[in-house]
Parts: sequence; structure tokens; C-alpha cells
Amino acid sequence: MTDAHPEQTAPVGADVPLISNQNVMMNISLIKEYHENWTKAQTQAFVSAGLERLGMSHIANRRNPALTAEERFCAMLLRAAMIRNALIVIDRPFQIFPHLQDATFLLGALDGISDLFMRCFILDYCWMKDKYGALCR
Amino acid sequence: MHGLESTGKVIISAVDNLRDTLIFSGKVVRRLLHPAAYNRATRNVLVNQIYFTSVQILPVFLALSVVFASLLVGIVFQSLKTLGLAEYFGHVLMGLIVTELSPLLTVLLITLRSSSAINAEIAVMKSNRELTALEMFRIDLVDYLVVPRIINGMLSMVLLSSLFSIVLMASGLLLSALIFDMSVDVYTNILLNSTSFSAIFIALVKCAVYGFFVTLIPIRFGLRATRELTSIPITVSRGMVNVFAAILIIEVLSLLTRLF
Repeated sequence: MTDAHPEQTAPVGADVPLISNQNVMMNISLIKEYHENWTKAQTQAFVSAGLERLGMSHIANRRNPALTAEERFCAMLLRAAMIRNALIVIDRPFQIFPHLQDATFLLGALDGISDLFMRCFILDYCWMKDKYGALCR
Repeated sequence: MHGLESTGKVIISAVDNLRDTLIFSGKVVRRLLHPAAYNRATRNVLVNQIYFTSVQILPVFLALSVVFASLLVGIVFQSLKTLGLAEYFGHVLMGLIVTELSPLLTVLLITLRSSSAINAEIAVMKSNRELTALEMFRIDLVDYLVVPRIINGMLSMVLLSSLFSIVLMASGLLLSALIFDMSVDVYTNILLNSTSFSAIFIALVKCAVYGFFVTLIPIRFGLRATRELTSIPITVSRGMVNVFAAILIIEVLSLLTRLF
């Protein structure tokens, strides 16, 4: 971490929803367009590549209510990763996908875009630690 | 005594409301004049807003304009002929219909279609915590949500009101030929002689002011929604009542401007 490019908190959680009147592409593109003044073409190419790495290319034109829990999480994660030097903070991820037994999906998604963020913190209740397996030991 | 107390409360509430609206207006105007507000995301929202408010509405707006304009011009021309005031038709058409009624009818159509939609949209976003999400990503709500909608409101009002006026004048051309047996040259001459450019300028400024407030007030009331979904219809209803009050106030102020 340097002074010129400090880490910036990028939240992911049920309390930080996607904008419902915009599709996934627009939700994610917004960050680069607003903070770094990227053009629509630049952001769309970048976001499409990110979605492809997560195996979620098909959700680009869908809006929040049409997404499954896993798709919603990936969209939120990629949106957070769009912040420059992102310090991603995932708040109680199992609130987003309560039906999942463990964190395999979460860790897979983080691995898929690991070069897009600096660090990641996962915040959850201590009684949920079994779900994280080796990550908590 | 109870009646006096209630009246006082209503007046205090109205004054507070007006003061809050003016303070919010000042904040928005400052951002409108700030170059930093015009980033790529804001410009994209502006383009979308112009499409939704001015382009998507065009077929319906044109159809309504033709119906309203023909009725209005037809009734006015027929009345002038009956009263033997045919020579004043140019002044009536330009001074009353084009510069006064055209902005008023346009703002009513825009308010019914777009202001209510903006109010509900912002209230739903507030209720769903989407505005909090934007703030958590350090996105300025005034820059991203308010500035493009306000610019769009002002632009759309000026453009649609001008379009309405053009349809009115075209209807006038047709009906003046039918009712007064007037040629195109004579009609054009009368219109040009009756045109007051200061009145047109005031009408355009009034359109821009209408556009500003019929967008700003719904946004302000939308931002008052709470986490409860039941707050959405309440904020929309209050917002729309205030928009109509603002339209009346602007109309009265513009009349005063013409008088003095």
C-alpha cells in the first residue's frame, strides 16, 4: 500500500444491494465510469471479461430481481472489485446465499478474480466458522 | 383557538417546506455549475433520461399535441369570428396560446408522466437501501441522480413545449384557412407581426424553471422515503401535490413578470 494508491474499502453484502433499475453490466460499469471516467466501451469490455472469468457472462443484461443468489453475489463481488486498489469486505456472505453448505463457491469466485483486488476480508458470526472449513483453522 | 393553531401549523409547515426546497435547489444549482459533476456516469444517465422523457414520449406527445392544439385553436378562432374580433387572432395565438398555454399543457403532461415516475423511482431506491449502496461506493447522490435528471427536465420541457407550439401554429395555419379563409402568406405575416420576442424568451425561461422544479421536487420527496415500503405511496402523493403547487406558483410569478 502506498500513499499515492491507498486501498479503498469495497463492500459486498446484503445491505449493499445492486441498483434494481439497472442491469448487471450497468451496475458494475458505474464504478469505473464514475470514479475513473472510463468510456462505456472500455468498461463494457472490462466487465464482460470479469463476468466471463466468473462463468457469469449470461447475467450481463439481467436485472437484480432476475438473478439467483450465486449470480447476485458474483455481480456484487465484481462491482466491488471495480474499485481501484479494492479492499473487499464481504459482510455475512451466507445472508446472500443461505442455501449453500460451505464457502467453496465463495472462495472459487474470489480466486477467479484475485488479481482485481488487493485484499479481502470476510466478516461473519463465529458460529458460522464451520462453513468456512480450512479458512478458519 | 384550535382552528387558529391548526392554521398556524399548516403555514409553518408550508414555509418550512418552501425553505427546504429552496435550500436543496441551491445545493443542486451549485453542483449544476460544477464541472466535476459531469463525469462519464452522469453523462450516461443524462442520455438515458433524455431518451425516457423526451424521445420515448414523442409519439404519444405528438398525438396529444395535435388533438389539444386543434381543439384549442379551433375553439378560439371560432369564438373570435363569432365576436367579430378576427383581426386579433394573431395576438391571441401568439400571446395567449403559444407563450402561455403551450408551456402549461406541456408541463402538465411531463408531470403526469415523468415526475411521478422519478418520485417513485427515488423512493424505491431509498427504501431498498440502494442509495446507501451508492454512498458506500463513494458516489455522490446529487451528481449521479439529481444533476442529470434536472438537466433533462429543463431540456425536455423547453424542447417539448417548443414542439407543442409548432404543432399549435401548424393547426392554426390549417384552421385559419378553414375558418377565416386565410392564405399561408397572410397567416405567416400576421403571426410575425404579433410575435413579441420578449414574451417568447420569458416563455422559454418559464419552461426551464418548470423543468427544474417538476424534477427537483419529486426527487426531494422521493429522498424522504423510509425503509418501510408503505412510505413510498405517501412520498409520491405528497411530492405530486407539491409539484402542482409549484406549477401554480411559477405561473403566477410569470404573470407578475409580464405585468411589471
